[in-house]
Amino acid sequence: MTHTLSPAERLDRAVDGLLDGLSPSVASAAAGLDAAMRPLVAVAAGLRSSLVVPPASSRFEARLGTRLASPAERDPIGWALRHPGRLIVTGAVGSAVGVGVTAYAVWRSSRRAGAAHRLLHR
Amino acid sequence: MSDRALAARTAPDPDLADVRAAQADRAAFATLYRRYLDPVYGYCFYLLGDHHDAEDVTERTFLAAMAALDRFRDTGSTFRSWLFRIAHNQLANALRSRSRHRTAPLTAAGDPPSGDDPAGHADRADEARRLRSAISRLPDDRRQVVVLRFVDGLSAREIGVVLDRSPAAVRVLQHRALRDLARLLDEDGGGR
Repeated sequence: MTHTLSPAERLDRAVDGLLDGLSPSVASAAAGLDAAMRPLVAVAAGLRSSLVVPPASSRFEARLGTRLASPAERDPIGWALRHPGRLIVTGAVGSAVGVGVTAYAVWRSSRRAGAAHRLLHR
Repeated sequence: MSDRALAARTAPDPDLADVRAAQADRAAFATLYRRYLDPVYGYCFYLLGDHHDAEDVTERTFLAAMAALDRFRDTGSTFRSWLFRIAHNQLANALRSRSRHRTAPLTAAGDPPSGDDPAGHADRADEARRLRSAISRLPDDRRQVVVLRFVDGLSAREIGVVLDRSPAAVRVLQHRALRDLARLLDEDGGGR
């Protein structure tokens, strides 16, 4: 049983050919494209030759490479377990901030409640 | 194994040995990082149009990939399509965030770094600018297909994994994208 290729499948085959280094005319002929589809292969060839992969900057490459190589990124759980002191400091700072924010909120609400009480009983 | 993952594989994954090595020892991830840094960065750059944003999304992609590496299994899709799927998700987050804050169209981004040949090939640079301008006017799904296919060289099957579409749907998107680009370049006085 033969499977008749759709136009999109034939075009994809021609693009495969282009990406493998064939010229547009050879890729079109190999994929069995009709004349109406050949301008699309020309566009594809333009994309292939013009849209180069822009290289990442060497500074960025080095910075990310260093980060990926750091023990904290490679094995974050193991790293945290090996550095319990940092976990304790982080937890303590987080708790202190939480306590401070809560105390401030309580103080503010009690001030407002006190003012309202004085107004009502004036 | 999903149908799409099965469809994405017709040949052995060329990265599989390196992935196995990196799963056993994260230091070996450097090989995969060096191999895919520029392709992932290129994908991000062409879709974001800004070098700094592209670096940010590339960084998130590799950090997420390394953190999730143990979850990669050789169950159909290639490592490359798995990595680009992560980049695709990170890009979606970045584009959502950008839509809330600002926009930077690809055409305003300037040329990509010219590497060792910064001065030459003026015609090619002009052609690339015209193409980027046309690509930026494509619907999002067609633009993604064009970049993944022609900048990064992924197959229709691999792009299907990245975009969660069937290979047949990707081929149709590619067909429509090339047809749109031909028309846009023609309107632009192109086809030169």
